[in-house]
Amino acid sequence: MSTASTATRFASELRAICGAEYLVEDPELRPRDILGVVPAFAVTPGSPDEVVAVLRFANEHGLVVVPAGGFTQQHSGDLPPQVDVLLYTTRLTEVEHYDSGDLTIGIGAGCTVAQLSSKVAAHNLFFAADPALPERCTVGGLLATGLYGPHRHGYGGLRDYCIGVRFVTGDARKAKGGGRVVKNVAGYDMMKLLIGSWGTLGVITSASFKLFPAPRQTRTFVSEFASAAEAIGFRNRVVHSPLDPVCLELVSPEARGLTPGLGPGSSWSICLRAAGSDTVLARYRSELGTTVAREIEGENEHVLWQALSDFSHIVYERHPRSLLISMTLPLGDVQALLDELAMVAQSHNLTLATVGRVGVGHLLAAMWPAAQAEVANYVDTVSTLRNRLPRDASMAVLHCPAEARQGIKTWASIPSHLESMRLVKNVLDAKDILNRGRFLF
Amino acid sequence: MNLPEVVGHLRKIAGHDAVLDRPEDLMLYEYDAGIRKSTPGAVVFPQTTEQVSQIMRLASSVPIPVVARGAATGLSGGAISQPGGIVIATSRMNHILEVDVENQRAVVQPGVVNLQLSEHVSHLGLYFAPDPSSQKACTIGGNVAENSGGPHTLMYGVTVNHVTGVEVVLPSGEIVHFGGKAAESYGYDMTGFFVGSEGTVGIATAITVKLLRKPEKVATLLGIFESVDDAAQTVSAITAAGITPAALEMLDGWTLRTIEAYCHAGYPLDAGAVLLIELDGLREAVEEQAEAVRVVCLEEKAREVRRAKTEEERALLWKGRKTAFGALGRVSPSYYTQDGVVPRSKIPAVLRHIGNVSKKYDLIIGNIFHAGDGNLHPLILFDIRFPDQLERALAASTEILEWCIAAGGSITGEHGVGMEKRDLMCVLFTEQDLDVMTSLRNAFNGDDVLNPKKLFPTPRMCREITGPAQNPVLVQEGM
Repeated sequence: MSTASTATRFASELRAICGAEYLVEDPELRPRDILGVVPAFAVTPGSPDEVVAVLRFANEHGLVVVPAGGFTQQHSGDLPPQVDVLLYTTRLTEVEHYDSGDLTIGIGAGCTVAQLSSKVAAHNLFFAADPALPERCTVGGLLATGLYGPHRHGYGGLRDYCIGVRFVTGDARKAKGGGRVVKNVAGYDMMKLLIGSWGTLGVITSASFKLFPAPRQTRTFVSEFASAAEAIGFRNRVVHSPLDPVCLELVSPEARGLTPGLGPGSSWSICLRAAGSDTVLARYRSELGTTVAREIEGENEHVLWQALSDFSHIVYERHPRSLLISMTLPLGDVQALLDELAMVAQSHNLTLATVGRVGVGHLLAAMWPAAQAEVANYVDTVSTLRNRLPRDASMAVLHCPAEARQGIKTWASIPSHLESMRLVKNVLDAKDILNRGRFLF
Repeated sequence: MNLPEVVGHLRKIAGHDAVLDRPEDLMLYEYDAGIRKSTPGAVVFPQTTEQVSQIMRLASSVPIPVVARGAATGLSGGAISQPGGIVIATSRMNHILEVDVENQRAVVQPGVVNLQLSEHVSHLGLYFAPDPSSQKACTIGGNVAENSGGPHTLMYGVTVNHVTGVEVVLPSGEIVHFGGKAAESYGYDMTGFFVGSEGTVGIATAITVKLLRKPEKVATLLGIFESVDDAAQTVSAITAAGITPAALEMLDGWTLRTIEAYCHAGYPLDAGAVLLIELDGLREAVEEQAEAVRVVCLEEKAREVRRAKTEEERALLWKGRKTAFGALGRVSPSYYTQDGVVPRSKIPAVLRHIGNVSKKYDLIIGNIFHAGDGNLHPLILFDIRFPDQLERALAASTEILEWCIAAGGSITGEHGVGMEKRDLMCVLFTEQDLDVMTSLRNAFNGDDVLNPKKLFPTPRMCREITGPAQNPVLVQEGM
């Protein structure tokens, strides 16, 4: 945006689309910067049609738009060269359909995960996603960032239970994929493209989900091990046993100190959460045998699992100068990657705390220095790790100190064909107005 | 380049004995398991990804339409060639390339038969979960193209939930990889996008699938009801009780009597409907759920609830379900089946609607379907030798699908859109929805060489269909 008069004109146009009270201008936006880049405007459209109008306007004037929900993940991604419009989805909260007998719900992208969960809990139903900060994290943000928490083990990922999505493409076409029924193969699976697209293909305006019957009771069995190798050995036994836990989470010794409900200790823990009757839980107890150090239930159990969901944010708060790296990989490589992480952290003088959905192949590693560390040290840590990733693994540096962001690429080792992804991007957002520069291209 | 020249090139690529072009041979490749036909110009049987790539490069340069074909068990016309086009038959690409127990994955060529994979890994205590009724014949490549389901998708999901990676030959001939052995990866989920794209984006030449651990315990129950209504209510009641069975199938009285006469599965001859309910998992959990299901069924007016006592009894109950379509061949010269989906709470209502449609068009319609996820397979009986009967069958089918759409459902749960339902896509999706999807297709398959005239209607068709479609299938195919 070149001049003050252009800015004034843009502001009045955006005001005309969304209403004066739903437009905010710089400098009030300073606390809402995107990795230090302050948007010129923030708009909060009240309907998908207003989203279309905003995106059409942005296309016409070459404005860069960043879709936003609860601002729980905006610290991630590569440095944006430019941000003109922050587009909040928080007014899109309408329930599109909900019949508890269908075990499905369709809801606006601006609804928070906590709101959605409590709405369906009233009917003994259960929304399986358990991201960090559910009181703030919105449905749209959840899908766009493809987040998942410990429930990923037992309930699958968003790609398994998101059954429909409505969105506006970067080039301002209002469209949908899927629908509101649990089984549906009509048309291309647009949900898959939008989940984990980090807001670069379209602005999600609403989505439909499969719900699950809420478990009547759960219990967490905490097992402790002297080494990561023993913990992974235990994971292997669980994965190959008839047991069917809802969560199976590895917590490293350093991570224990960041996990209220587990507390400090020098051993590696595996927290296994099971759901079922007393008889079923008794079977877990007998199968798991003497490895179980303790059992947790009720409020303490809730605190523990929320802390594990919130792990990344607990890290940011306690260790603002940390690296937070998320990695997906085949099950058989988890042990080797844990070893690599330990070596990389040690050789760069960083403290390492790791948690992970070790039954599905997802690790979150936090690394921080004892005192100030050089930017070069962060950069080298990331590049060393990237070179040691196993085949078929991918990683994202979700957090790093601001001064290191310039030198660190967020995304690495993406297994899918990059040019095909670029084709998709060009079709849906030809002018690259959505989250320009923050994702893969 | 004329067809004989194309055939010559195909022989150079795949080998002299790997191409069919005589009319009497091509006749065998005219149809799938549905009711449509079209004769290809040549059928080629590649054995390697590289050969598929060369074939695609050739086809794009001519250009000549191409369709990949597995066992052609599909019902929507997805594997039917354009007249004079090339069929890439995957039957010689039938190797299981890798079984990776540690990572719970297998890598297979597209021509591997669905059930064959489960049998191959059975001794390891593993299996491949998607189980279409045609699983003895259908190929995993076909499952990927159509995103196939089966009875156990209720708990385990459709094919896309079990595919983590694909090697794909694009229309340009380029060989690319999407995903891998990890459950998920950063970057766009190209694997998820590819599965179910009905052969319009590329041809899968290697597929990485999840292998699941076989459940410790399986319980199979047969709930016997006096009426379809009671059985339908029970489906909702089971869900409301917080039980997710592995499979929950319904057969109405007419259908189960027809099946029983054919394969003696042990179904009661005088029932109004039965529910075939399967629970699997941890022994203790299965026993509790089986008891809970029994109680719910009896509360919902089941006349009787039987439980398979042996593996043989269980297999027999499933044999009845899975050979249903074969059984119908004995009683009707032709049948037409649909694949609509409704929200689960609408099951009783949609069954009443199907009853009315049956009366209106004076056709027998049997019901056999995946009740647990609201996926209907109404079986419309007719005699294809009488054109008016075919016309009525298609009209009845369209009316049922339109009801499904109006109820918030879909036109296909697992069979795919293919040729047969592409015009109904205009009722399910807006022109702009379809524009977004077709623009994606065009990015990969811009010249429409790969499986043209499938999945998406032409914009012209959409504009012509206003209000209830007047048998668009008939109009389109000149039947």
